[in-house]
Formats: sequence, C-alpha cells, structure tokens
Amino acid sequence: MEGPDEELMLAYGRGDAGAFDTLYKRHRGALYRFILRAIKQRAAAEELFQEAWIRVIEARSRYAPQARFTTWLYTIAHNLLVDHWRRKGLALVSLDAEDVPSESANPARQAEGREALARFLQALEGLPAAQREAFLLHEEAGLSVVEIAKVTGAGEEAAKSRLRYAMAKLKAAVDDG
Amino acid sequence: MAEDPKISQRYRELSREEPPRHIDESILAAARRAAETRPAPLVVPTGRRRWYFPLAAAAIIVLAVAVTVHVEREQPDPEAVVSSSPLEQAAPAQAPAEPPRAFTPDPKPAPSQELRAKRDAEAPVELQKAQKAPAAAAVPPEAAPESPSRQDAVSGMRESAPSKAAPRARAETTVGAAANFAAASPEQWLQGIDDLKRQGRHEEAERQLAEFRKRYPNYRIPEAITEKFEKR
Repeated sequence: MEGPDEELMLAYGRGDAGAFDTLYKRHRGALYRFILRAIKQRAAAEELFQEAWIRVIEARSRYAPQARFTTWLYTIAHNLLVDHWRRKGLALVSLDAEDVPSESANPARQAEGREALARFLQALEGLPAAQREAFLLHEEAGLSVVEIAKVTGAGEEAAKSRLRYAMAKLKAAVDDG
Repeated sequence: MAEDPKISQRYRELSREEPPRHIDESILAAARRAAETRPAPLVVPTGRRRWYFPLAAAAIIVLAVAVTVHVEREQPDPEAVVSSSPLEQAAPAQAPAEPPRAFTPDPKPAPSQELRAKRDAEAPVELQKAQKAPAAAAVPPEAAPESPSRQDAVSGMRESAPSKAAPRARAETTVGAAANFAAASPEQWLQGIDDLKRQGRHEEAERQLAEFRKRYPNYRIPEAITEKFEKR
C-alpha cells in the first residue's frame, strides 16, 4: 500500500497491517539513526527505537492526523529520549550544555584513515544534546525549524538558535577537513 | 536558516546505521498481532465481571420503565379520598339551604344507604367521565344552561319529593358533591370551588378550598381564585 504517511497510519488503525509495513520501512532507518546518534549507546538506542514503534502501534486507534506523521513520530522519540536522559540523571537544562567527550574522541577511530569524516562525527557527537537533536531532526527527519520546535516543545526561536549553533560547529569541522 | 550543502553531504557520508533485523521482525510481528485484534478496552472484563456491564444496563432500563409507569399511574384514588376525608363525612351536617345543582349527579331524593351504595358503585365511572369530559362535570348552571328536559326533570322531582326526605336528600347531594370534588382533578375541583363562590355559597366554597389545600398542599392555586377569598 502506498500513500501519505497519515493515510497509512489511519489505514493501520483500521486493521491494515500492510500499511504499517510500508510506514515502518519508510522511517525505520532515519528514526534509528536519530536515536542512536542522540544517545550514542547502541543497546539503549535499540530499546528506545522499539519502544517508540510500540507506542505507535498502541496509539493506532486514537491516531488523528493533526500534524505530519513524521512530527508525531519524532515527538514520541523525543519524549523517550528525555525520559532516558532523566533516568540517567541528566537534567533537561543540561541539554544545552556541553556534552561529555564521546567514544569518537578515541584516537583509534581517527586513525582509520577517514580523518575528515571522523572529525565531523566527533564534532556531531560533541554537540550539546539539544543542538545535536535539532540537527538530527533537521537532517534525518527533514523537519523545519517550526516542526523541530513543536517536537521538542521548545520555542521557535530556541529551536532556530540550537540549529544555527549546531550548523556553525559542524561547518567548522567540515572546513577544517 | 542558511543551509550548508557541505554539512548535509558530510553527514550523509557517515555510516548509514540501520536497525538490526531481529528488531525489525519483532516490531512488525507486534504490529500484525495488534492489527488482528480489536483495540482492547481500558478495563478487560474477565470471569464474572463480564456480566457487570450488561446487568447494570438492564437494571437501569428496568428502573427507567418502572419510574415512567409509576409517574403515569400517579392519580388520586377516588375511593380512598371519599372514605378518608373527615370533612366530607361531616358535610351533611353543614349542608346549605339550597341544594347544589351543578355538581349533583342525581338529585333524586332517595334513601341515604341506597344513594351511598349507588355512589360507591358509580364512583369510578364518574371519575372516568370527569376525565373524559372535565368541563361537563364542572361547568356551573350559569355558564352552561341545562337543557329544558333536564331542568324540568329536576324541578319535577323537587316538587314531587316528600317533604321529610328533602333535607336528607340535600345532605346526601352535598356528600355527592364532595365526592365529585374529590374524584375530580385538581383543576376541576378548583373550578367547582370558583362556581360555589360565584353562586354565593361562600362557606361551602371555603370548606372545599381548605380541603383542597389539605389534599394538594403543593398545588399552586390561581390568584384569580385566592383573591376572591381574600376580598371576602
């Protein structure tokens, strides 16, 4: 079955399992990468990824297309990430603070011969969580600033600012290469 | 927001991570299982609890029907009203000089026991008549003149009645009037009281009004009637 995401979700709510298959195949990679790169822990990312889809399945009969399906899907994922960070003892305010150094700072990874790419990855993973999330929502989910603000519950100006800072830092990493 | 294609391009060059196959299968299987089943209710009824909702619904329906029937049948019992009213039992002693005409079903002078038996037997019929044609039972002679044949019959009976039987007949007709009042609807009763007032039978009217208030304490009596009593 083909069609817009919203129609597929409505069809799935009526019992069309094939509609969900299509929907899942469209979004599985981007959503997985969004979560994985947001929390940088594969096991936890897989768990949150499954949980996000389970919530979609459970909400099938209540779903009403008030916004794009993508916005709704990534709002679910964002809420799961916030819960995850909260469980890890990270306050929401720390989302804008500088993150702890990631595994990508490991010199072994840089030694793989793809220094430019490694530098970019390092810069991405070194972004504050909120800026990284804004960038990933923009890049993986294709959301606009307004949609990013809606998904993250931040103001439009805050979302715009986060995305601009993230872009500036990543651009510096690209230009260095 | 100024887009930088180099950033997007570099990001795309990163490894395109995909969820593991077993996770895909797990999620798709869960989705298919969910699609095959109807959305579960918030509270899943099990065992005896599955009967709670149907039973509650049936009980509500039965209760609603019972209340409706009860409200429809809620009418004063004429038999009980006649026999239980002490004022009406005492009515013969206070019978007015002139026998009532408008509310006397049968002014023929007859032995009191015979009249009472006849009244008891006819009370439900009278009630039915009053309900079917309330105006006919309560309309005073001035408002609805009797037909000549009925007037003749009444006057003829008066003239031919034995002199000793007359007071008893008047008393009995008063009882009959009270019975009629009691058997009538509140509106008919009030109409009768108003008629008594207009006929100048003030004491009887007041007595009936007092009885009416006793019987229907919450009934709102029209001001047009109460004013007449206040003026007196």
